[in-house]
Amino acid sequence: MATQSDTDQIQGFGQVSRTTGVIFRYLLMGATMFGIVTLAILLVYVANDAIQPLTADAGWYLVFFVTFVAPTTLVGAYLYRTNVDALKLGLLVVGMLAVTLMFSGGVAIVFVDIVPPLVSLSYAIGLLVPFAAVVLMTKYEDAIPFTARVAATGAIFFLSLFGIPGYYHSIPEMVQKIPVVPTEWVIITLVFGGVVAVVVGQYFARIRENTRAGVVAGVAALAATGAAAVSGMFTGVNPTALAVVAAGAFVPTAAYAGGAALTREEERIGLLLAAVVIGGSLVGAGIVDVLGFAGPQSWVDWQFLTSSHSGTAENAGLYPAIGGSILLMVTVAALSFPLGVGAAVYLEEYAPDNVFTRFIDVNISNLAGVPSVVYGLLGLGVFVTYLGQPTGTVLIGGATLALLILPIVIISSREAIRSVPQDMRQASYGMGATRWQTVKNVVLPEAFPGILTGTILALGRAIGETAPLIMIGAPNVLFNLPTELSSKVSAMPLQVYAWSSLFASEDFYTKAVPAGVVVLLAVLLAMNSVAIVLRNKFESES
Amino acid sequence: MSHKENTAEVESSNMTGTEDPTNDEMLVQTDVSDGLSASTSVSETTNAETIIRADDINVWYGDEQALQNISMEIPENSVTAMIGPSGCGKSTFLRCINRMNDLIDVARVEGELTLRGKNVYDDDVDPVALRRRVGMVFQKPNPFPKSIYENVVYGLKIQGIEGDYDEIVEESLKRAALWDEVKDRLHESGLDLSGGQQQRLCIARAIATDPEVLLMDEPASALDPVATSQIEDLVEELAEDYTVVIVTHNMQQAARISDKTAVFLTGGELVEFDDTQKIFENPESQRVEDYITGKFG
Amino acid sequence: MSTDDLETDLTRKTENSPRELLTRSFFFLCAALSVVTTISIVALLVTEAAKFFTLTAPLMGVTGETASIVDFLTGTTWQIHNKEFGVLALVSATLMITIGSAIIALPLGVATAIYLSEYASKQARSVLKPALEILAGVPTVVYGFFALIYITPAIGVVLPGIGTFNILSASIVVGIMIIPMVASISEDAMSAVPDDLRQAGYGMGATKFDVSTGIVVPAALSGIFSSFILALSRAIGETMAVTVAAGAQAKFLNPLDPSSYLEGALPMTAAMVQLLTGDITGGGLAYRSLFAIGLVLFVITLIMNIISDYVAQRYREAY
Repeated sequence: MATQSDTDQIQGFGQVSRTTGVIFRYLLMGATMFGIVTLAILLVYVANDAIQPLTADAGWYLVFFVTFVAPTTLVGAYLYRTNVDALKLGLLVVGMLAVTLMFSGGVAIVFVDIVPPLVSLSYAIGLLVPFAAVVLMTKYEDAIPFTARVAATGAIFFLSLFGIPGYYHSIPEMVQKIPVVPTEWVIITLVFGGVVAVVVGQYFARIRENTRAGVVAGVAALAATGAAAVSGMFTGVNPTALAVVAAGAFVPTAAYAGGAALTREEERIGLLLAAVVIGGSLVGAGIVDVLGFAGPQSWVDWQFLTSSHSGTAENAGLYPAIGGSILLMVTVAALSFPLGVGAAVYLEEYAPDNVFTRFIDVNISNLAGVPSVVYGLLGLGVFVTYLGQPTGTVLIGGATLALLILPIVIISSREAIRSVPQDMRQASYGMGATRWQTVKNVVLPEAFPGILTGTILALGRAIGETAPLIMIGAPNVLFNLPTELSSKVSAMPLQVYAWSSLFASEDFYTKAVPAGVVVLLAVLLAMNSVAIVLRNKFESES
Repeated sequence: MSHKENTAEVESSNMTGTEDPTNDEMLVQTDVSDGLSASTSVSETTNAETIIRADDINVWYGDEQALQNISMEIPENSVTAMIGPSGCGKSTFLRCINRMNDLIDVARVEGELTLRGKNVYDDDVDPVALRRRVGMVFQKPNPFPKSIYENVVYGLKIQGIEGDYDEIVEESLKRAALWDEVKDRLHESGLDLSGGQQQRLCIARAIATDPEVLLMDEPASALDPVATSQIEDLVEELAEDYTVVIVTHNMQQAARISDKTAVFLTGGELVEFDDTQKIFENPESQRVEDYITGKFG
Repeated sequence: MSTDDLETDLTRKTENSPRELLTRSFFFLCAALSVVTTISIVALLVTEAAKFFTLTAPLMGVTGETASIVDFLTGTTWQIHNKEFGVLALVSATLMITIGSAIIALPLGVATAIYLSEYASKQARSVLKPALEILAGVPTVVYGFFALIYITPAIGVVLPGIGTFNILSASIVVGIMIIPMVASISEDAMSAVPDDLRQAGYGMGATKFDVSTGIVVPAALSGIFSSFILALSRAIGETMAVTVAAGAQAKFLNPLDPSSYLEGALPMTAAMVQLLTGDITGGGLAYRSLFAIGLVLFVITLIMNIISDYVAQRYREAY
C-alpha cells in the first residue's frame, strides 16, 4: 500500500538522520568531558602521590569504613531519596566547617607568627577610635562643613595611628605600653571570640525574636571559644591558634547549624549528615589511635604544613609560603578591591559617552589580556628599578599582583553594577538624589554580592600566579615567615615551582611537590566554592 | 502638616544665607536682573494659578524628534492628565519637567520650561535640586530593596531633612492610604508587598519629602483594577495639596480624575490642551475627537 | 512652602559640593589608573628595550642600533653566555606551543560550546560550566608539573624518543587550560544567535544537527573566531606551564616538523623566567634582554587582543 511504504520511507529517513544526530551529540559530549576528565585523572594521580592512601593498615580502612564511610553513605542516600534540600543543608554545613577551618587556620598563622595579638589589637583600637569619631561626625554632618570633616578625619587618623613623636604617643604605642596585659590567648578570646559572640547572639535574638535567647547564645559562643583556648593548655596545642579556629570555624558553623535546626523544620534532618560526617571521623580517629592502626603515609601532614623548606623532600614544608600567600592576598585585596570597584563605578555611573571613556574601556579589556609575565616586568621595572624598592617584598609582590587582577575585578564589578535594575536608579534620581548618593545607597548595596564574587574569583587567580613573583625577584627559598610589608615573600605556587625545577629530583617530584600542589588546590577550591555559593545565593534571591 | 514646617526650616537653613527673605515679586526682580526672558516671566508668574509653563519644548533622542513645539500651562493644586497613544511623547514630556531626560545620554531638550517662573533648563539650574521639588512616581512600582520604613525616609535622608522620621513615615503612609496595611511590618522589605501596595509605597516615598509637584508616569498601568481604583482615589486626594501631573493611556481614568487634559498624538505633538470636561465632551480638533471616540490611535 | 528661595534653591549645584567632587574624582582616578598602567608598560618596555639595542650593537660586532634590532628579530640562536640574542629561537618554541595547544583547544572548545548552547539540559549546564571554570582556575605551575611528571612519561610509553622537557606535553596542558576560554566566548556568540533563525531551520524540517552546524555555527562564526584569537593570545603569554614542562635549552625548531614537538625548547615566557631564576650572567645586558622579549610578547598579544575585540564588535553589531 502506498501509505504504508510512505511511512516506511519516512521512518527510514528519520532513522538515518537520527543516527547522525545521536553520534554528533555524543561526540560533542565527549569533547566537553575531555578536559574535565583529563584534569580529574591528573588530580587523582597527584592526590595519590601526595596522600598515598594505599599505605594505610587494613584495620585503619576497616575502622573508617565502619565509622565514617558506611554511615555517611547511608544517610546521604536516604536524604537524596527523601529530601534533597535537607541533603544540601547537610553538605553546606560540612563544607562550611571545612572552609572556615582552612581560613581560620590561615588567620591563626597571622596571629601566632606574623602580627602578635597585642600589636594587632593595638592597631585595631588605633583604627577604631578615629572611626568612632568619624561616625560621630557623620551623625552631625549638617552642622560641620564637609571639608572640615575631611580635614578632621585625616588629622584624627594620623594622630591616633602615628602620634606626634616626642610629644604624644600614638594609640597603638599607648596600648602596647600598658604594663599589665592578659596573655595572648585571652586577648584573642575576648576580642575575636567577643565579636563572633555578638554576631551569633544577634542572629539568635533575631530568629527567636527573643533577646534572652540571643544573650544565652552569645555567652555560649564566647564560652566555647574560651574553652577551646583553655583546652590548648592541656593538649599542648597553641591556645591562641585554638581560640582563633574556635571563633572562626567551630562557633560560626555550630551557630549556622543551630539556626537552621530552629528555623528550617523541613530541612533540619539534613544536619544528621553533618553529624555523621563529623562524629564518624572523630570516632574513627579515636579508635584507630587506641588500636594502633597506622594511617596512610601522607606527605600532606602537620609537619609539611608547619615547617619550612629543607634540602630533603621528607622534611620540606610549606609554612613560609603559606604565610606569604596570606600576606600577599591581604595586600592584593586591600589594593585591588577599592581601585577596581572605583573604576567600575566611574565607568558605569559617571563616565560620559566620549572618546576618552571608550579608550579606557578598550584599554581595560586589553590589559586583561596582557600576559602575567609582562606585569612581572612592570613590577620589576617600575617598583624595583625606578622607585628603588628592594626586590621580592610583600608590598611590591602584592602591588604587582593587584595590577594584574585589576582589569578582572573591574570587568566583573562592572557586570555586577550593570545588573542593578535601571528602575532603582530612576527611583533614586527621581527623589532628588545626587550621583554619589545613588551610588552609595542604591547601586553599591545591590551590586555588592556580585562584586564580592568577582573579587574572590580574581583573588583566586592571584593566589595561583607565579611568574610575576619570580619577575620581581621573590626568593625561591624562604626559611622564615614574612612579618611585614617590607619582608621578602614567598608564595605557595612559587614554592611548588622552586621544588619542581630547582630541586628537581625523584624525591621532590613524588613527595614535596604533590603535597604542595594538593594544599594549593585545596585553598583554591575553598575560595572558588565560597564564590560559587555566594553567586548562587545572590542569583536565587534576585 | 507638621513636617512641612520642618522642611521649610531646613531648606532655608541649607541656603548659603546671604539672601534676604524674598517673595514672589522679588523673585521676579531677580529674574529681571539676571536678564532671563524677563517680560514673559513677569506676566506669567503674576498669574498665581500657573506653576509649570512649557514654552516651545522640542526633544530629540539622537536624530529622532520625540516632542515638537510643546507649550502649555499647568495650574497649581490640580490634576493634569496627559493622554495619547503609546510613543506619542507624553512620558517624554513628563520627564522634561524634572529633567529625568538628562540621565539619557542621547536626549536633547530645547525650549523653555518654567517652574514658578524659573526656567529649569537654565544653565545654572541643578537638576538634583529640581527633582527635590518635583517628585516622581514611575510606571513600574520600584521600591528599593530596603524596609518599608527605609523606603519612605530615603528622600528625607538624602535631602538632609531632619524631623521626627517616625511621624513623617506614619503621615506619608497614611496619605498614601497604605498605613493600615503595613503599620505592623514597617521593617519588612518593601519588595514583599503586592504590586498595588508597592506603588502606594512609592507614592508615600515621593510625598514624604513634600515636593511641590508630583509627576506620575502611568502609575496604575501595571496594576489590577482594584489597586488601580485605589491609586485613582489617592490621586484626587493628593491634588488638594500638590500639583499632580499624570500620564495615562487610559482615557476613562483621565476623565475621572483630572481637571485638565493634554492630548498628545503620534509624532510628539500636543494637539489639544484644555479643561478635561471640554476635551471629552466637545474637543476643538477632529483628530482628538477621533482619538477619544476610538476611531484613531 | 519654601517657594521664596526658589532661585537660590534651584541653582545650588549639588554636583559641585565637596562630597560629590571628591567621590567623582576618586572614581575617575581609579579608572584612569588603567591608562597609567598601560602607559607605564609601554614606556618601560620601549625604553629598556631601546637601551638593550644600543648596548647590543657593539657587542655583536655590528654598528648602529637598527642592525642589532634586525639581528634580534632574525637571529636563531639564543645564548646569553655568548651574547647571542636571536629571538627567533624563542619565538619558534612559542609558536609550536601555540599550534599544539590550538590543535587541542579549538575543536574541543567549539564542540563544548555547541554542546552547552544547543544540546545540554539546564541541569547539565549548571554542572558543566563550573567544572570547565575549574580547568581555567588551576594554577599554571600545577599544569606544568602535571605535564612534566604524569603526561610526559605517559607519552613516553607510546613515543619512547620523547625528551624529559618537551613541547608536546606542554602544548597539551596549555590546550586544556584554554578550552574554557574558547568554549565560553563561543557559547556567548552562539547564545546570541536569535531563536528566530533556529525556528526557521526547524520549520524547514531540519534536525538539531543541521541547525547546529548549518545555522548556529555559521551565524556565530565571528564570535568563535574572536574566541580563537583570544585563547591563542593567552597560550602565547602562558608562562609557568611551559617553563616547567618545556623550558630547557633555547633551540630553533621547525614548527612544521612533527618530530620536533618531542624535543624541549625555550618559549619566550620561559626564557624570561629562566633569565631571572638562574644567575643573570649577562649582567645589565641580560636584564635588558628581558624587556626586549617582553616587548615582543606584549606587541604580539596586544595585536591579537585588538583583532579579537574588533571581530567581536562586529558580531555584536550583527544582532
